[in-house]
Amino acid sequence: MERFAIPADLKPMKKNDVILIAVLLVFALAAFGGVSIRSALTTNEPEAVVYLDGEEWGRYPLSKDTEVEIRQEGDHYNILQIQEGKADITAASCPDRICVNHRPVNRQGESLVCLPNRVVVEVENGMESEVDADTN
Amino acid sequence: MKKICQAIILAAVILVLIGGSALYYRTRGPQRYEGQFFGCFDTVTTITGYDTSQEAFSEKMELLEEKLRHYHQLYDIYHTYDGINNLKTINDAAGETAVEVGEEIMDLLKLGRQMYVMTDGKLQIAYGSVLSLWHEYREKGMNEPENAKLPPEEELARRATHTNMELVMLDEEASTVYLADAGMSLDVGSIGKGYAVQKLAEYAREIGMENVLISVGGNVCAVGGKADGTPWVVGVENPDTDSEKAYLATVELADNCVVTSGDYQRYYEVDNQRYCHIIDPHTNMPPDFFSSVTVQAKDSGVADALSTALFNMGYEKGLALVEKMQDVEAMWIGKDGEIRYSSGFKADEKK
Amino acid sequence: MTKRIAYLGVLTALAFVFSYIEFLLPLNFGVPGIKLGLANLVVIVALYMINVRAACLLSFVRILLTGLTFGNLASMIYSLAGGILSLVIMILAKRSNVFSVTGVSVLGGVSHNVGQIIIAILVVETKSLLYYLPVLIISGTVTGALIGVLASILIRHLNKAKETL
Repeated sequence: MERFAIPADLKPMKKNDVILIAVLLVFALAAFGGVSIRSALTTNEPEAVVYLDGEEWGRYPLSKDTEVEIRQEGDHYNILQIQEGKADITAASCPDRICVNHRPVNRQGESLVCLPNRVVVEVENGMESEVDADTN
Repeated sequence: MKKICQAIILAAVILVLIGGSALYYRTRGPQRYEGQFFGCFDTVTTITGYDTSQEAFSEKMELLEEKLRHYHQLYDIYHTYDGINNLKTINDAAGETAVEVGEEIMDLLKLGRQMYVMTDGKLQIAYGSVLSLWHEYREKGMNEPENAKLPPEEELARRATHTNMELVMLDEEASTVYLADAGMSLDVGSIGKGYAVQKLAEYAREIGMENVLISVGGNVCAVGGKADGTPWVVGVENPDTDSEKAYLATVELADNCVVTSGDYQRYYEVDNQRYCHIIDPHTNMPPDFFSSVTVQAKDSGVADALSTALFNMGYEKGLALVEKMQDVEAMWIGKDGEIRYSSGFKADEKK
Repeated sequence: MTKRIAYLGVLTALAFVFSYIEFLLPLNFGVPGIKLGLANLVVIVALYMINVRAACLLSFVRILLTGLTFGNLASMIYSLAGGILSLVIMILAKRSNVFSVTGVSVLGGVSHNVGQIIIAILVVETKSLLYYLPVLIISGTVTGALIGVLASILIRHLNKAKETL
């Protein structure tokens, strides 16, 4: 039905084009797979992440019992204890001691907060939490 | 013929690819993010919401932080800020001059006055003179627990004579506030945070967040439900912080708020007796009715004010008040751990 | 000569209009940088119908115009990075004679996205943006193929029109 001949290099598709497209797609899909496999492998272990003034200060796996002293200038400190898969602040220099009174945490997104010392301990990759927030 | 074949194959490939990628983003959808910041209302603010990327969410977080900081500065009674008249400005001018204020302060004080009438004076925003005395003794007592003392009764009584709500003069036309008693001061600790959270929730909606959970130190307000249409789940914390059980109950939130007032977080001890930060305006002493009271309401400012007021009154009186109000429910946790609810409170009690 | 200038003027205007259309109707896939690249259609036509210099000029003028009209300095830098890389790759691909218009367009689309993401990584200083790369390659391939097929049809008809004139 063609009324005129198309110059060879103006056909919509050549074999090389198809190969190019196939190679690009395969490459992209492979990279895609690589990325998702890597992210699936790396982010599984529950950790207690310590933030000081909003900056990450350290992270500790909940699987290993340990005690960390979060010490700052001017004798401000919080003692973070990790025991039986839970993170707890057991002692602190702050006057209100809200962080010490708080129960140990191990669920996703749960946190221990010490306002006077500007310390936050947050659980990452923890057990699925049953609540989105709490009121107290 | 061959060309038609080719064209069909090409079209099919393109369709599959476009469809595939569209489907991929549909199923992946917006992701859930959570952010925290300090420095507003002396507590931590946690925002949980959904967005297409961490960057996009962080941008909105910054807007929200800026907004909340603005309210924090307006309702601050300890610091002055350049270029704004806040509550400290009003307190400093008590007995001298009227202070021009914006609608953020005017509306808050109007709500405070309304709640004062509604709760029979159990919610008092002109109670700064007494609260500041308690504040002073509590701070001292926390820093040196061995020397912790109660404020002297005579001084409390003397200061309580400077808490007359009638002398808080709100002039809406001139948008000014005047305290007609030089010894008087405003303290909106029991309502300002809740009111600000309500405004923050409205602002979140304005900037296009349709599913957000805002918690400013346990003052929780939900804009919409979760992205999947189910409500947010909020735990009511167990006042017994030594217990294994973190929550005594959970409540579901969608387009409403929940606030708790309790005696187990901010307190100090004198002779092994706990004295919390909430003071009953009728006795000038911390009340002894409950460990905590949780209020659910459409408006966070109302919920905040009511939770304090209910904490300051007995169960019967509080229940009568709650049942009288629309869209308001409450949950009382007694000193012995006994839980009581208002008739419409829907909670999932933890066994 | 004058005919060529007129031609170039019309194509530039067309590219500008296409950019405007994309500005009005952005494709939102939740990933920054994905667009149809309608303007590239015009650049390809210029590349095949006129010459390399015309394509470069057209490309540059279009980015400048749209940047000044709808964007800001930042968005202009992103477009420039994508535009220049894509143009260079397309010129090389065309010269190599390995691919037809579609292949050239696919390479142009992909390199446009890659160029933008490289700048983004440099500016934001997060490698996490690399995660977008596979998605941007796929989208560049698909939109490039679409634009390429359109371009080859267009060039065919324009050539025919030129002959009959």
